Amino acid sequence: MGRAFCRLLVLGAVLAGLPGLSLISPALAHHSFAMYDPAVTVRLDGTVKEFQWTNPHALLWVVGTTKPGENPTLWTIELPTSPGNLSRMGWTKHSLSPGDRVVVELNPLRDGQHGGSFRKMTMVQTGQVLLVNLRDQPKTEAAK
Amino acid sequence: MRLRALLVVVGLAFAAPLRAGETAVAASAPSARDWAELAKLPDWSGVWTPLPPAVTGKPPAHAGQWVESEPQWRPEAARQIAALEAEEAAGRPHNIYLNCLPEGMPSFMIMTLNALEILFTPGRVTILGEFDGNRLRRIYTDGRAHPADPDLTFNGHSIGHWEGGTLVVDTVGLLPEVFLPLGQGVGLPNNGDMHIVEHIRLAGPDLLQDDLLITAPHMLAKPWAYTRKFKRHRGAAADIVEASCRQGDFVEQRDEAGNAVFAPLPHDAGGAPLPLPTGK
Repeated sequence: MGRAFCRLLVLGAVLAGLPGLSLISPALAHHSFAMYDPAVTVRLDGTVKEFQWTNPHALLWVVGTTKPGENPTLWTIELPTSPGNLSRMGWTKHSLSPGDRVVVELNPLRDGQHGGSFRKMTMVQTGQVLLVNLRDQPKTEAAK
Repeated sequence: MRLRALLVVVGLAFAAPLRAGETAVAASAPSARDWAELAKLPDWSGVWTPLPPAVTGKPPAHAGQWVESEPQWRPEAARQIAALEAEEAAGRPHNIYLNCLPEGMPSFMIMTLNALEILFTPGRVTILGEFDGNRLRRIYTDGRAHPADPDLTFNGHSIGHWEGGTLVVDTVGLLPEVFLPLGQGVGLPNNGDMHIVEHIRLAGPDLLQDDLLITAPHMLAKPWAYTRKFKRHRGAAADIVEASCRQGDFVEQRDEAGNAVFAPLPHDAGGAPLPLPTGK
């Protein structure tokens, strides 16, 4: 993780500790995805900043743009499931690396903040498409 | 001799007396025959992943989740559910699992999106979950009854018996705060006296079916019948992994001393991770 990114994290932690700026809830964990708008799909063209392989949801940070001429900004993207399920779909913790050029389709937060729920990703260099679809899990023998 | 007699008296004093409705459970070690008997049970080995709605044949009733039959709520509960559904639809979910307390039953079986595995040992069936911090259910199949006055817990007290290839499980002793769930943002506490009966069986070579009948007299007008199906996978690629409840609420980083630490991430009120403040 880059030092600049760490500084942002520290800033976030500091801000969260200030009265009136309670950005961080005491516990979050499993949550509904209703705050993401399923009717809207945003296409984020950018570069992977970090990919975090954690439960209950893996997280992805991408710096990119959603329209031509826009200044690149940092988006926080939540994958809708966990490393266990992702592994059964063929993902690994190495599926994405910092610096990878990607195009991510996501359902954005309804309030306009730069967060979203992962829908689909295309690796620009290889054309590989990454999906998160519980229906595909796993690709071994399907139930009869 | 006096010392031996004293030890017997002390031992009796500490032995838990049986209460009404309780049966004695063998305290001896399982025999070779007990272990051999397990081979007669159906093969439920492997890793079981819950089936999505397209396979169970029903559309999702709530965002990201699915139910196969809608519960018949009592009027006051129905009013609350309608309000929660409206909030969910408006993007303001009232999350029911946000505090990382165990989801409990019936969520353990009907709400999980993660894998299960099931172990048979003499007198016990153990269901290990990947969801929810790898929590587990213990189902006693040694013939015991429920305790007369069980300590209330999230997964309750479960006893089971085999009817052919079907494991029949009876669960009581559930905390009143444990939810009747329709989704991660829609659900109500059972408010006490919940009772769950399950019939778990192989419905195909690699298909496990759990038919649940959930009775919650303070919230449901009639028992809620619900079926959840799981498909089987074998091999290391499908192995269940360690799953903590809250690790994703943090970001991995190094502190000023170079130690690997978890730093909290900002989230919105509904639990979605937010972009970090840029300071710009």
